[in-house]
Amino acid sequence: MTDSIFSKSGSSSLLVPTRRDLLRFGGAALAGTALFGTLGKSQAQAEEPKKGGTLRLGLEGGSATDSFDPTTYNDSIPIFMSLTMMNGLIEYDQAGNPTGELLESWEATNGATEWTFNVRQNITFSNGKTLDADDIIYSIQLHRTGDSKSAVKGQLATVSEIKALSPSQVYIKLSEGNADLPVLLGDFHLVVVPNGHTDWTKPIGTGAYVLESHQPGVRVVFKSRGEYWKPGRGNFDAIEIRYITDPAARTAALQSGQIDVANRLDPRTVKLLMRVPSLQIVQTKATGFRYCFVARCNDVPTKSQDLRLALKYGIDREQICKTVYNGYATPGHDHLLDSASPFFNAELPPHVYDPDKAKFHFKKAGLSPSDVVELKVSEGAYGTSVDAGLIYQQSMRKAGLDLKVTKVAGDGYWSDVWLKTPFCAVHWARRMSADQTFTTCYGSKSDFNDSDYRSEKFDKLLSEARVELDQAKRKEIYDECQRMVAEEAGHVVFAISDFLDGYSDKVKGVKTHSRFDLDDCRVAEKAWFAEPV
Amino acid sequence: MRLFKNVITRMILERVMLGILTLFAVSVLIFAATSILPGDAATAVLGQGATPETVKAYREELGLDRPAIVRYGDWLAGVVQGDLGTSLTTRQPISDSVIPRFENTLFLAGFAALIAVPLAIGLGIIAAINEGRLVDRVANIVSLGAISVPEFFVAYLLILFFAVKLGLFPTLATVFPEMGFFDRLYVTILPVIALIMIVTAHMLRMTRSAVLSVLSQPYIEMAFLKGLRRRSVIMQHALPNAAAPIISVVALNLAYLIVGVVVIEVVFVYPGLGQYMVDAVSKRDLPVVQGCALLFAATFVAVNALADILSVAINPRLRRSRH
Repeated sequence: MTDSIFSKSGSSSLLVPTRRDLLRFGGAALAGTALFGTLGKSQAQAEEPKKGGTLRLGLEGGSATDSFDPTTYNDSIPIFMSLTMMNGLIEYDQAGNPTGELLESWEATNGATEWTFNVRQNITFSNGKTLDADDIIYSIQLHRTGDSKSAVKGQLATVSEIKALSPSQVYIKLSEGNADLPVLLGDFHLVVVPNGHTDWTKPIGTGAYVLESHQPGVRVVFKSRGEYWKPGRGNFDAIEIRYITDPAARTAALQSGQIDVANRLDPRTVKLLMRVPSLQIVQTKATGFRYCFVARCNDVPTKSQDLRLALKYGIDREQICKTVYNGYATPGHDHLLDSASPFFNAELPPHVYDPDKAKFHFKKAGLSPSDVVELKVSEGAYGTSVDAGLIYQQSMRKAGLDLKVTKVAGDGYWSDVWLKTPFCAVHWARRMSADQTFTTCYGSKSDFNDSDYRSEKFDKLLSEARVELDQAKRKEIYDECQRMVAEEAGHVVFAISDFLDGYSDKVKGVKTHSRFDLDDCRVAEKAWFAEPV
Repeated sequence: MRLFKNVITRMILERVMLGILTLFAVSVLIFAATSILPGDAATAVLGQGATPETVKAYREELGLDRPAIVRYGDWLAGVVQGDLGTSLTTRQPISDSVIPRFENTLFLAGFAALIAVPLAIGLGIIAAINEGRLVDRVANIVSLGAISVPEFFVAYLLILFFAVKLGLFPTLATVFPEMGFFDRLYVTILPVIALIMIVTAHMLRMTRSAVLSVLSQPYIEMAFLKGLRRRSVIMQHALPNAAAPIISVVALNLAYLIVGVVVIEVVFVYPGLGQYMVDAVSKRDLPVVQGCALLFAATFVAVNALADILSVAINPRLRRSRH
């Protein structure tokens, strides 16, 4: 990992077209940008989906322990597997707004505490059963029951009652109002299985495909169910996913045509891949991981807000994005929302690298330049934290400040270092609602408030926004929340990464999405082949 | 003849007993080592999303709240009865997932050994016959060159030329149950070539030097003086006596092919046991790690014991010297 600071051509670039290809495709850079430029607009809309073919994917983000048990999903491959054969309650559109999936439509009353959802009709599971409200309720309850270890258990804590009003209507009551309930119900864990189903080795869903074979950590195969209830979707005859953890192996397989789709392309070599005529690269800008260093607001020495500001001004974000992420990342605004969020505060000036301000705040914090602040980084937090930490150290040094960067073991990082160290590395994935983002990361009661930010005013603003159904008013509140957090809390959000997907040019209908890569992990149901064999 | 039987039987018995002891020691070591590592299956699986509450619930569910010694005892009792236990993370019987993986590993190792061993020994003998000549030097330089390059680099070079540039062979060596035998051979060609390049040099050089050292013995000189040709002196008189070191180096390399090829498995996406074990270590799935380690250790012990027994069996002098 460390080589990326010093040489842009790491060992993996061996696999990527080299001089020969550059000569062969003279002017390749131009071709690359032209290709990339068209992708955002997606010419696919003009084309009619075609049926047939086997879509072969080589993916990273899973392990030999993957299962179809919805309470265990934690990485790209299980999420992809699940959305290939099951449907969620809610689907997000390209911009990230909740739209109906198996819950077709909804209505909130009584300050967003009482919700009625209409269940989509005439949907059948792959075992022949017709979908009704009980299946929906069972699928939600899987995550709420006493001993559930589901990651959404906390998000559903305010649900006080769920019941079926009729086979086609579900009623949910919340102990505190939440205008974002539909967004929460779009969480990838909340997929729908038949009432009472427990055998996760034989998953049953309402999706476009059914499971053919599953060897966790090796390969998963799905075949088409035939008819699919979403028009124009579920176009392939079969889907084959292979686990390919090594990025170089994934790239090579894509280039040699053994797979049609690869995720998580290496930012260091993706520019070269863009020059390969038979490939298309889909880049989703700045909605990926929020790479941060987080300072705790009540620990010595980072409890000084001035020190935290010094740390925010003392990092050269531009340089880290350029060198560590090769330009496939955007500096963050120190509050975990990204610019694709509808509530993003565009007026708020971002913290940019300013050695003088850093020095000023450092002094104001009552520290002398000889005082050393320690930053803990680890491969366990994220692979690039070590490189980013070293650049951070250099940029602090230009301000005359000493940052001690310590690399710690990846094992047990989340239980032993994170939340327990005054200043350490952390990454956050995108959350689909502003409320969820702020409540999880900055709410006083949250287990994951990693900067230990406690503000009554902030908590109050959050609860006001949560029940506010007027979007303009909510925007105002969230603007203030972002301002408060960026100034007061402890996250140094130095980069938000891009998603980089690679596709063969034979695959059509591929788009960017604001939640996940691979078109929200639903490329299996959304895309099609230009010429199915 | 009776003497031979006795020596061999006694040796086999000795070896089996020693092997069991070794396996026991290995299992204690592995258990201790993985227990010392920070974190456990609960924190590893739940990762960043862990709360004290969920970790506690998960630990209780997995039985991790019991002392390590009790868990080890339970596991050992199961293994003695032939039950490897259940995985902590998938809750499935370990043998169901480990055995097919182990078969894959054996397939890859067997395929590579089938080519590498005759190749290395043959080339080693040819090099010894032609000591100091061009053939000898070329064999030496090429094999040394192959072993000096890191294995992942060899693998990437093979992928670059044979898969990406020429499109001759697949880059992905993933095998699965539904795959036919010849398909398996085809998809595993590149990893097998890589493995051959890694293990050949060692065996080749050992064969060559073993043969050469026997060649300096007086009885070989006698054979030459009697007017035998160099080739037949080597094949009939020198080689049988040089067999012991050759067999042990072949055994060492066979064991390496089975237990030491995680990198090749990762680069070529081959579903072998090595990758599975690495996965299990990162998830702190102790019973799985233990199961894999036991299989690996058993392989190592068995192959080495077999080598020792074989070298004694085919060398009359070694047989007698035991008594």
